[in-house]
Amino acid sequence: MTEHSLESLIKRSELEWEVPIGYIPGMRVPGTIFLSESLKKTLEPGAVEQVANVATLPGIVRRAYAMPDIHWGYGFPIGGVAAFDEEEGIISPGGVGFDINCGVRLLKTPLTESDISSKKRNLIETLYKTVPTGVGSRSDIRISRPELEQMMLTGAKWAVKQGYGLSSDIINCEAEGAMPDADPGAVSDKARSRGLPQGGTLGSGNHFLEVQVVKQIYDPVIANTFGVKEGDICVMIHCGSRGLGHQVCTDNIASLSAAAKKYKISLSDRQLACAPVHSKEGELYYSAMAASANYAWANRQIIMHKTREVFTKLFQTEYDDMHLVYDVAHNVAKREIHDLNGHPAPLCVHRKGATRAFGPHSTDLPSHYMESGQPVIIPGSMGTSSFLLHGTKKAMDLTFGSTCHGAGRVSSRSKAKKTVSGKEVKEELLRAGIIVKAPNDASIAEESPHVYKSSTEVVRVVHELGISRLVARLEPLAVIKG
Amino acid sequence: MTIIELDHTADIRFRITAVNIHDLFKESAKALMCVMYSGQAGSQISRKFSIKAENLHELLSMFLSEILYLSDAENIVFSGFDISIDDTYTTLSADLSGDPFIRKNHGGGSEVKGISLYGLEIKDKDGMYIVDLLFDV
Repeated sequence: MTEHSLESLIKRSELEWEVPIGYIPGMRVPGTIFLSESLKKTLEPGAVEQVANVATLPGIVRRAYAMPDIHWGYGFPIGGVAAFDEEEGIISPGGVGFDINCGVRLLKTPLTESDISSKKRNLIETLYKTVPTGVGSRSDIRISRPELEQMMLTGAKWAVKQGYGLSSDIINCEAEGAMPDADPGAVSDKARSRGLPQGGTLGSGNHFLEVQVVKQIYDPVIANTFGVKEGDICVMIHCGSRGLGHQVCTDNIASLSAAAKKYKISLSDRQLACAPVHSKEGELYYSAMAASANYAWANRQIIMHKTREVFTKLFQTEYDDMHLVYDVAHNVAKREIHDLNGHPAPLCVHRKGATRAFGPHSTDLPSHYMESGQPVIIPGSMGTSSFLLHGTKKAMDLTFGSTCHGAGRVSSRSKAKKTVSGKEVKEELLRAGIIVKAPNDASIAEESPHVYKSSTEVVRVVHELGISRLVARLEPLAVIKG
Repeated sequence: MTIIELDHTADIRFRITAVNIHDLFKESAKALMCVMYSGQAGSQISRKFSIKAENLHELLSMFLSEILYLSDAENIVFSGFDISIDDTYTTLSADLSGDPFIRKNHGGGSEVKGISLYGLEIKDKDGMYIVDLLFDV
């Protein structure tokens, strides 16, 4: 890990910084990081080096991109986007991460803030009891091995078929809640045994379930298309493929490390282990990753079902009156067709801590979002604003239909715990009217709003760039932290 | 032997220092359990496994990944790490002991999603073995 100077970055426009070829040896294309001046101050040399590392991989097209929520990770930086030619390029678990299809969904209820204000504490306590949260938590749903097979094949559709949701939920998920190339046969027994008891669990770390209120509408026409208006109570759910996906990543990094040697691919970071997209090893990873992604969509679907049941019980809300605005993945690799030099090109697009932001008339959008572009859901940090945006043509042209995924950390967990206690954060948020519930105070300190960039500034950058455009701002009322 | 937490923005990074490779592996396993669980664990349960790798850093990564798998799949908090490593540093046998996870005793940690290979390199410096580990949380 050699640290390079940030001074060699080239400012290309107010919001675009170039990592030039030569920043590290072997770069095939330049890198581009989208940043404002204020966000540039939080840029870490390690994250820039990771952008440069991605630019060395075979078959990368155009550029290695990083969104304004970029931060230092492993393999790709968090916020990294790169597309690889399907014939010449590679696929890498380092461009997806351990938490395959970590993602976020937004559920809109017919309630307003005044409807829930007197029961807010009861609401979050009930949700906390209903949705298993934190280390060691197990689902109360028994999933058999044949059911797990179907879960990995058909994702959210499996969950809805089991009674965990409405058929209309499916079309409001990216990829309709199931990647078609999933092959459960590519998923190890180890991964399955981790996935069996965890269906419908939230996990820990930065995963959360948050009750929010729509505070501001920026684009009334598209907000109407998305079915949200000022004052609406919504629930945002952020989690992924749990132990199943984590194990799939671990299994495949081992096999793709060997494959990289076999195909004589030089790696600047072992975590970028990879293989040609259509090699046996590449295909195997893709089909296992897709199966994990489908597990994640089913997982979020089950959690949303449990959430709806809680609202039905506490507020007598009709189950069918709570509609899923959309569900987006932000850790995934997908085979997509994008325009390259005026021609449609089959590419393997990696988004690691980045959200798909397909614009109007793109494939894979439901008919009701065809004119608006897809909803893009950007969670804030605990206690700060989250945003609803829409995908754009600019994103299709510039970033392979991608945008940011959240606020992005600026400070480590250990620093956070030394700076502030969980109790203090909880009390500070309570004074602001936000109730936080978590398995322990340490996890609250680690995810304190102080350790994140401003979500407002991150979305301002993507909005100004035009790679997604603001629709609505949501504010937290009560949060379950994993 | 020391376990020092280093700064890392997204994840958890440790520098482990030990006088020999065996201890380096044991301390690395303890660091992993420290992140995932709080409190003490006894030795009600034992689990054995063997692994074979191409080199030392791969052996360490596989060792920790196996512990992570067993812990997550079976809800076990491990506390004892009896290991033997062959002279070529490519084969390891482990005999682990621990307790079943009980939230009131062991809750309060963070799930570790995986053992990253980023920067994973075992160095021999002034008679001590040193490794930086990155756990995705």
